[in-house]
Amino acid sequence: MINKCINPKTVEEALDILESNGKDVKLIAGGTDLVIDLRNNKIDKNILMNISKLKELRFITIDENEITIGSGTKFIEIIENQHIKEKIVGLWKACKSVGSPQIRNMGTIGGNICNGSMAADSVPPLLALDATALIIGKNKTRSVPLRELYLDKGKVDIADDEILYAIKFHRLREKESISFEKLGLRKALAIARISCSIYINLENNSIKDIKIATGALGKYPQRENHIEKRLVNKKVDEIILKDIAEEMSKHVSKRLKGRSSRSFKSIAIKGIFAEAYKSAIKGANDESHKSHNK
Amino acid sequence: MNHISLTINKKMYSIDVEEDVRLIDLLRDQLFLTGTKEGCGEGECGACTVIMDGRVVNSCLVMAFQAEGSNITTIEGMSDKDELHPIQKAFLDKGAVQCGFCTPGMVLSAKSLLDKNENPTREEIREGISGNLCRCTGYNKIVDAIELASKEIREEKKE
Ligand SMILES: Cc1cc2nc3c(=O)[nH]c(=O)nc-3n(C[C@H](O)[C@H](O)[C@H](O)COP(=O)(O)OP(=O)(O)OC[C@H]3O[C@@H](n4cnc5c(N)ncnc54)[C@H](O)[C@@H]3O)c2cc1C
Ligand code: FES
Ligand code: FES
Repeated sequence: MINKCINPKTVEEALDILESNGKDVKLIAGGTDLVIDLRNNKIDKNILMNISKLKELRFITIDENEITIGSGTKFIEIIENQHIKEKIVGLWKACKSVGSPQIRNMGTIGGNICNGSMAADSVPPLLALDATALIIGKNKTRSVPLRELYLDKGKVDIADDEILYAIKFHRLREKESISFEKLGLRKALAIARISCSIYINLENNSIKDIKIATGALGKYPQRENHIEKRLVNKKVDEIILKDIAEEMSKHVSKRLKGRSSRSFKSIAIKGIFAEAYKSAIKGANDESHKSHNK
Repeated sequence: MNHISLTINKKMYSIDVEEDVRLIDLLRDQLFLTGTKEGCGEGECGACTVIMDGRVVNSCLVMAFQAEGSNITTIEGMSDKDELHPIQKAFLDKGAVQCGFCTPGMVLSAKSLLDKNENPTREEIREGISGNLCRCTGYNKIVDAIELASKEIREEKKE
């Protein structure tokens, strides 16, 4: 039962409160996941601390090498960012695909990551970009590769006295791109909200680097290292997409053993994966991408 | 209890709210602004849509204390005294209102869209109201109404 609500004015104030009282505090950002959990009495803490008004957590900075997005940044703010729209296409598409305008106006990228849902749409592209989570507490900061942040279903490696501050990844250069494809639209279909995001780096028409991440095919979004290994250092022309998609399907089927969604998901991923692969290759070969990006 | 200050339909309020009260509960039960409707209570239907700090949100997913310092427009703030807003008029003219349960949310989504994009395409209108469900009209008449409103607002501005 919540019996106290706090609107801290600064991140510092929020961290002070977490330091002294963290185990009793639940953070609320956009509330689009949490308010429903609160109503269903799923939250066993008694203090609610609102971080959605903290301007320090709402930013997108793009410097020479890196892009950093504050955890409190709303989906709409990411969608409206021109650089992300043009260059980080997969992340843009993922954010654009979330819920409805109302949900995108409130929901934050930090809430999406920290809620730990297997179907959190912004996470596969961030995993494929090999993003790093920046976590802060009173007098401490640490960075964790996003792929190591997930501990279990709905559970992330962020302590009671910490908050996710931002998420950071490299800018994409010539011959690099990121794609995103997803199945299933409304939240009612969350179980079928399979997604796939692929980062690719081409060199002389062969795959120098590839990172593949999927959503809703396990306890949390994850990298598909098996398939990555099959593709890296291969000539694009020699890759038989159908065979790789088939392998992906088998892999997923093995992972979902014993689940009712297994047969549907292991078939559906084939098409989603193939689409994501094709658009990643296309993106990396895109001339307009090249001319804008020195 | 939490004490919060906020602006609703251009009027300042300074008010106590319980910890578990959402924005929709504050509007309907404490301030009797019952034009805002609660449908699903889970962010799916958009009946509870209000404009908060310039953007549409589902008031069933906002805790009241989070609205501290915010500027909110509800359906009651749309009309100018006795004069309906052009969007409201267009909804009536085009027969876009049947049971009316979705209408307040639809009208606010339409307003938020037209505030940013004076002359949207039908596709953009559909996207703008994609977070608002309607069980009655089949949406076409709503899209017609918003198209008409956009035209009237542009013409009004020219005059
Ligand atoms: C109708 C509907 C449709 C939806 N559709 C989609 C969809 O298509 N795709 C999708 O991915 N999601 C969807 N969602 C889920 C939700 O909107 C997203 O997960 C959103 O990003 C959550 O962000 P928030 O700011 O609202 O988080 P909140 O609800 O405020 O918080 C979620 C969790 O994260 C924690 N948290 C938040 N910020 C931080 C931080 N900075 N540090 C540490 N912990 C933090 C909170 O304590 C809480 O546990 C939908 C939800 C609804 C209601
Ligand atoms: S009542 Fe809020 S979205 Fe349905
Ligand atoms: S008019 Fe009845 S729900 Fe839209």
